[in-house]
Amino acid sequence: MIRKVLVANRGEIAVRIMRSCREMGIRTVAVYSEADRASMHVRYADQAFYIGPAPSTESYLNIDKIIEVAKQSGADAIHPGYGFLSEKAEFSDRCKREGIIFIGPDSHAIKMMGDKITARKTMIAAGVPVVPGTVDAVKDEADALKIIEEIGVPVMIKATAGGGGKGMRLVKDAKDVISSLRMAQSEARNAFGDDSVYIEKYIESPHHIEFQILADKHGNTVHLFERECSVQRRHQKVIEETPSPLLTPEIRNEMGRHAVAAAKACGYYGAGTIEFIVDDNLNYYFLEMNTRLQVEHPITERVVGVDLVKEMIGIANGFELPFRQEDLKQSGHAIECRIYAEDPDNNFMPSPGKIQHITEPLGLGVRHDGYVYEGYTIPIYYDPMISKLIVWAKTREEAINRMSRALHEYKITGVKTSIRFLAKIMESQDFISGKYNTHFIEKNHDFLMAEPECDGQCEDIALIAAFLEHTQKLNKVSTNGVDKKAVSRWKDIRHHSSI
Amino acid sequence: MEISIDGRIANVQELARNGNYITMMVDGDVYEVDALRVSEGIYSIIYKGRSYNIEMIADTSARHYTVNSWYNSYKVEVIDAQTRYRMSREKGSHTDEGKIIVSPMPGKVVKLLVKEGDTVEAGQTLIIISAMKMESEFKAKVPGVVKHIAVNEGDTVDANKELITIE
Repeated sequence: MIRKVLVANRGEIAVRIMRSCREMGIRTVAVYSEADRASMHVRYADQAFYIGPAPSTESYLNIDKIIEVAKQSGADAIHPGYGFLSEKAEFSDRCKREGIIFIGPDSHAIKMMGDKITARKTMIAAGVPVVPGTVDAVKDEADALKIIEEIGVPVMIKATAGGGGKGMRLVKDAKDVISSLRMAQSEARNAFGDDSVYIEKYIESPHHIEFQILADKHGNTVHLFERECSVQRRHQKVIEETPSPLLTPEIRNEMGRHAVAAAKACGYYGAGTIEFIVDDNLNYYFLEMNTRLQVEHPITERVVGVDLVKEMIGIANGFELPFRQEDLKQSGHAIECRIYAEDPDNNFMPSPGKIQHITEPLGLGVRHDGYVYEGYTIPIYYDPMISKLIVWAKTREEAINRMSRALHEYKITGVKTSIRFLAKIMESQDFISGKYNTHFIEKNHDFLMAEPECDGQCEDIALIAAFLEHTQKLNKVSTNGVDKKAVSRWKDIRHHSSI
Repeated sequence: MEISIDGRIANVQELARNGNYITMMVDGDVYEVDALRVSEGIYSIIYKGRSYNIEMIADTSARHYTVNSWYNSYKVEVIDAQTRYRMSREKGSHTDEGKIIVSPMPGKVVKLLVKEGDTVEAGQTLIIISAMKMESEFKAKVPGVVKHIAVNEGDTVDANKELITIE
């Protein structure tokens, strides 16, 4: 039985994992870098240990140090969260060797799914549809031409070791094949030290839809339905919702069955996500599997009524899943917005800095997974995500209205955030109608980036506030006591009655 | 008081005040507002029944603010005698516009691509700053000679800090 968990992560996900641990009566251990002494996960945990300098390669990715802390603190398990060490097969193996439970899959499954060609072959063997294209890496230029002739343009050339859009080339015209191939290879060689590439059919207006799965060590695997993740910017998810407005009940069942088959094909246990690409005609293809907890997992938790972190811990303990597929139902609608410290008006430039003020949204149907607080300085070294705002309502329409309301309540000053940009998305016709794909942000760019309408009155009101603030400041400096009006009457009463 | 807001220079005056009820004049228009300073730098202003929540963030200089309402974010500068003098002097003559490369966010200097004395073209990348896993390139806005470099590779820089000066 797991009694103490070390969370090998930081920020909101570390806090989120510790919350479930606390509910389960499990003690928590935080690790932190030099930049994170004041971070909420350190304050929230029962124990906290320094593990190294700010750059993650010297702290949150330092396996030796993290294992050492786990032993020193007496943690019997490690939860890796997402990012950092969560999909490093080597880390899963190392935990096992050291006699520490890794709350996640074994290295075999991580390796299989980490290599795109192996993953693809495994899926084909399991009968899961994959995007038409090559099974093996492209041998030479003649080979590439032959393949493209077979599947037809447009195609995508991708690095086998790829990720983050590097080593990727879209070919729309057959005459560009050779030059695109060479560019993709050279980019792949520079980025990953491996120039092998493969070719896939390019899906024109793709939807990105993923299925959550849970599998125990006794051969039980279930899916917890889908998450629609098509609102993306530069391959980064911005908004997720479930259920997907695109899927029909039949396709949902079919995809769910394939998601379970995909997980079984690699002998998976733990929580995982099968990503599919879906075209307008509801043809769907396996894209990849994420062998960890996803950022956007809360919308599934809200709609299915399952705490995924608790289930992960249960699975790691060797328990059987407490439910079967037929016990799981989707109820209502959930949406998540990712709040980033970035400046939408300035090409989404990162905006680290000190939080001067934060008012978190509250009220019916709102969940807010964050970690920043007033006076906290967001470090420059890590991901710019501040928090995830999740709402639930009985219907999709109500959920959208609720998200708009929650975003309106959400105030952060000190750093620039994507809050207003997200609010615009909630107002856009394409999002409201549910008819959108991964080109959504590009297509709605003008609407989303439009200067807010103002009749000059807003500007004048801002000027009045500036005047009042500045005179207030001048009065304070000249210490002539004009500030009296701002003093609360309650303080006077307290003085009088000597409370 | 003269206040500039996103380039517009407005004349703002207080006409009368009774507690929170303040009568203001902005460029000749009269506003009767109920303005309450609810906490440090935060104002709740009610005008003709409309409720505005306005946040004032003081910048590094005492006269510069960022003013946020729900829909807008403005750069505001209170113009005093000294500023007026500076502005009148700069009028007509060229300003430092584009000659100083400033990092708009805190970050780390990943790479310096020029050294002092180098001749640079407009659009040439001078320095790469990394913040939050994202690298941003800063380019020369004008052609010229690199006069001063205020940072080294590996340095951590604050927001709005001068990095490179071009002459």
